[in-house]
Amino acid sequence: MASADGGAYSYSLTVFSPSGKLVQIEHALAAVSQGTTSLGIKASNGIVIATEKKSSSILIDDSMIEKVATICPNIGIVYSGLGPDFRLLVAKARKSAQAYWKIYNEYPPTKVLTQDIATIMQQATHSGGVRPYGVSLLVAGWDINRGPSLYQVDPSGSYWAWKASAIGKNMVNAKTFLEKRYNDDISLEDAIHTALLTLKEGFEGHMTEKTIEIGVVTVPSEADLEAGKIEGTGRAKATFRKLTEEEVRDYLAM
Amino acid sequence: MAAASVYTPAGFDFSNEVRNSFLTERGIPLPKATSTGTTIVGCLFKDGIVLGADTRATEGPIVADKNCEKIHYISESIRCCGAGTAADTEFTTALISSNIELHALTTGRKPRVVTAMTMLKQMLFQYQGQIGAALVLGGVDATGPHLFTIHPHGSTDKLPYVTMGSGSLAAMAVFENGWRPNMERAEALELVTAAVSAGIFNDLGSGSNVDACVITATHTEMLRNFVKPNERVQKERSYTFRRGTTKFKKEDIRSLVVSEDVIHTGEAMDTS
Amino acid sequence: MSIMQYNGGSVIAMVGKDCVAIASDLRLGSQAMGISSHFEKIFPMTDRVYVGLPGLATDVTTLHHQFRYRLNMYTIKEEREIEPETFAHLVSSTLYEKRFGPYFIEPVIAGLQKTASGDFKPYIAATDLIGCLNFAKDFVVAGTASDKLFGVAEGLWEPDLEPEDLFETIAQTLLNAVDRDAYSGWGAVVYVLTKDKVIKRELKGRMD
Repeated sequence: MASADGGAYSYSLTVFSPSGKLVQIEHALAAVSQGTTSLGIKASNGIVIATEKKSSSILIDDSMIEKVATICPNIGIVYSGLGPDFRLLVAKARKSAQAYWKIYNEYPPTKVLTQDIATIMQQATHSGGVRPYGVSLLVAGWDINRGPSLYQVDPSGSYWAWKASAIGKNMVNAKTFLEKRYNDDISLEDAIHTALLTLKEGFEGHMTEKTIEIGVVTVPSEADLEAGKIEGTGRAKATFRKLTEEEVRDYLAM
Repeated sequence: MAAASVYTPAGFDFSNEVRNSFLTERGIPLPKATSTGTTIVGCLFKDGIVLGADTRATEGPIVADKNCEKIHYISESIRCCGAGTAADTEFTTALISSNIELHALTTGRKPRVVTAMTMLKQMLFQYQGQIGAALVLGGVDATGPHLFTIHPHGSTDKLPYVTMGSGSLAAMAVFENGWRPNMERAEALELVTAAVSAGIFNDLGSGSNVDACVITATHTEMLRNFVKPNERVQKERSYTFRRGTTKFKKEDIRSLVVSEDVIHTGEAMDTS
Repeated sequence: MSIMQYNGGSVIAMVGKDCVAIASDLRLGSQAMGISSHFEKIFPMTDRVYVGLPGLATDVTTLHHQFRYRLNMYTIKEEREIEPETFAHLVSSTLYEKRFGPYFIEPVIAGLQKTASGDFKPYIAATDLIGCLNFAKDFVVAGTASDKLFGVAEGLWEPDLEPEDLFETIAQTLLNAVDRDAYSGWGAVVYVLTKDKVIKRELKGRMD
């Protein structure tokens, strides 16, 4: 018999415990809640996703760490949990977005891409020889159909749309903080500041442009939408971008 | 992707092959696909690359499209002109553009022209010339401006001025006569226009307008229909028919406007 | 003989002022022998997207069902109706998948595209049998009478036709072109799409 915490059911991924739990998924969520805090806030004119980038040693070259990832020109994601698992999901999500583009000549709506990622994560909960992904994701994107939307995807493969959410080590406090601060009319600029303030709550050490990563979704203007695709490129203007270190520094200084 | 079945597996589907080759054996040849007879050119100048193309697509002797786009987007500062089977140039460049974007996202760097060239030649070589795409690839990257031609079988050349397609001889004659090293932007654009125009007027597979694209280290300028030497003149008179000319047997009008009448009956529901 | 001529048939689509029209003949033949005068080759995919599928009749049916299936999957997954431009690319990539064993069909797509401001913009496109898209501002043609249709349409089409005038122009273009095509004819059908209604009319044509 296995140890006390999960009993015999903690090893086989595909076996329910008598209480109806898949214990490996619970363990995956535990891995997420040990990860650094990430959050996302949907504003009236866009979305911000942000995370802290903590390295275990000052000897690590943190310029190489990427925690906010662009999936396609209209969607970006951030994670809490296991970095290597995230990398794999990013690669799969990007491929999925490109597969969609090759069929329809446009990038997937946020919800469709979120579903694709969620499907990949769900499959890892009932396939043989694998473990669930040890990450939760925040997916932020813009599309013509639903406008800006923010989703959270968990290791079980379940996903929800949020106005604001936080994942990782400090998620409980961060969510309480966001609940107090959030309103539906918040502007993107204010949301970025709120995001930084929320991260600051549980931050160990100093918040700098090296230890914070921010991605923003902006809503295209009426003129941009009317113009459609950029002349000669066949592509629409990108709506997701990562803030540069300089921009992050400016926000921190404000 | 294992998700919904609208995502078909990558690569081609040969399931109609048996039927179609049976027909071919019985003496019924495969129908012709649209081809871009085409004059496409590219030339190096002082600050970068100028690409040029005509805008005619043909289906045998028929002009199928009078103003198609043959300068395809690969990345912001890499573009690719396509000649040959129109669908092949369209889909090959789209595939490479997609792969280049993935490559750029994973490396976090601006893509290089040689990368696109290598991807294209490897794919075309793999298909042993069956994918009928003859390409002029040009762009500017961290290592400077580059200009390549890629043949359907996968061979490539790197030259300061290149032409491709059925109008390539006419266009090359102009280049051989007029190209000089270190030209100014305006001179290069003028030369490219002259080269494509030579194709438009002397080659039956090429026609209509001149598209051009100027790529420098800082900026890419797509000049769609840069010159329109074959614009159709206003018709002398209108050829509309008097309403009611065409007799029809049956008419069926379907309204797309949804209207509904709300009839209040009785008391409102008690929701307390 | 080309396999594209085996069953005969032609389709044309035209742009008008805030409207589009798509029309086809109704013949189904087996080479020179007429089989049916009610063989419709134009199919509504959504309220505002219509597709015409001239070519080998067996592939007309197969592809119609294939497109319907893929479109239904799209509508369910995305919880929205497809726009004509997106549909055109779906058609194109579906055909190119079979680049080395194609269906013998040259689809024509006509529809009204929703703009950002909520208006509708006319959209037409045609592809060859391996999915090379041809967008046009004026008209697109396909089928056994395509070369004749090109000629007549080039002469008769003019910009900004009102729905009723567009009907006359496309109907006359089709009727006169198919009269010189042995493989097309046996009646015709015209659809005119406007922002608030779809008009379908079955035309009187030569039955020889």
